[in-house]
Amino acid sequence: MARPMNDDEVANEMNKMVTFIKQEALEKAREIRVKADEEFAIEKAKLVKQETSAIDAQYDKKRKQAEVALKIAQSTQTNKSRLKLLQAREGHLQDLFGAARTELVKLPQDKERYAELLEGLVLQGLLTLMEPRATVLSREADLQLVQSAATRAAEKYASLTGHAAPEISVEATLDKDSAGGVKLVGAANRITIDNSLDERMRLLEDRMLPEIRTDLFGANENRRFNN
Amino acid sequence: MAAQQSQGIQTLLEAEKEAAKVVQQARAYRVQKLKDARSEAEKEIAEYKAQKETEFQTFSSERSGSTQTSQSAVDQDTEVKLAQVTSSYTQRKNDVVKKLLERAVLVEPTLHPNFKAKIQ
Repeated sequence: MARPMNDDEVANEMNKMVTFIKQEALEKAREIRVKADEEFAIEKAKLVKQETSAIDAQYDKKRKQAEVALKIAQSTQTNKSRLKLLQAREGHLQDLFGAARTELVKLPQDKERYAELLEGLVLQGLLTLMEPRATVLSREADLQLVQSAATRAAEKYASLTGHAAPEISVEATLDKDSAGGVKLVGAANRITIDNSLDERMRLLEDRMLPEIRTDLFGANENRRFNN
Repeated sequence: MAAQQSQGIQTLLEAEKEAAKVVQQARAYRVQKLKDARSEAEKEIAEYKAQKETEFQTFSSERSGSTQTSQSAVDQDTEVKLAQVTSSYTQRKNDVVKKLLERAVLVEPTLHPNFKAKIQ
């Protein structure tokens, strides 16, 4: 049987208990602090990582947009340059056609060659019409020339085709401003053949474009197929 | 004897109170730490962003410089080509005009390929 404690022993026990309580508290507090530090580090790292990768993605996107914008700008530059070039060529082309038209009007001045030409034009028209009757339209100034040319053409037509020479009536109804040549009308005004010099020139301007391009500016280096 | 006992209990109670305070402080520390995590993270993030921004700025100012130079290079090139085209044109213009005129008067009246001579 233990005897009751004396004062000293009581005090001792008290101290032990108090110390124990304090120890427990300190340990618990330390645990809490350590855990807090860990969680702090984890949470901070998580937040930083989250946001920094978002920022990285943002700037990546910005960079890509900048690259695309650059490409677009370059492409626009090249395009503008090409357009400028094409416009210049078109301008030259128009100048060319203007010069050709100016020269065209002078053709009828060589009477001999013009008469031959008219005969050829009428004949060509007759061979296209293949009609027994035709009306030839000429300029007022060319009326007589065309009349004789038409007669010759009709004869040639007869010898070429074996048909009878067609009846031709010549009318001086072609435009005064026309450069020359003839128009033919046949089959009761249902067919018209425009063999005027203006129309021929117009057709040439259109159909000869590839050839003109090569002649004026050289062959196209970027063209892959030439057949 | 009772007085002694209550005194002992008192001491213990006080010790408990102190202990609770200590733990409470630790808890407060924890709460503060969580807040700190947020604010420190924000600071770091802001720094990072600022750094990235300056990087990007230098990058884009370099770029815009290059666009300028390429533009003027292209312009120069265009001018050269334009001059070439014009000189080529003036050289060959007359020949082509002649060609056009020759073709305009070139008439070759031919029978239609399907033409059948009348049976005489």
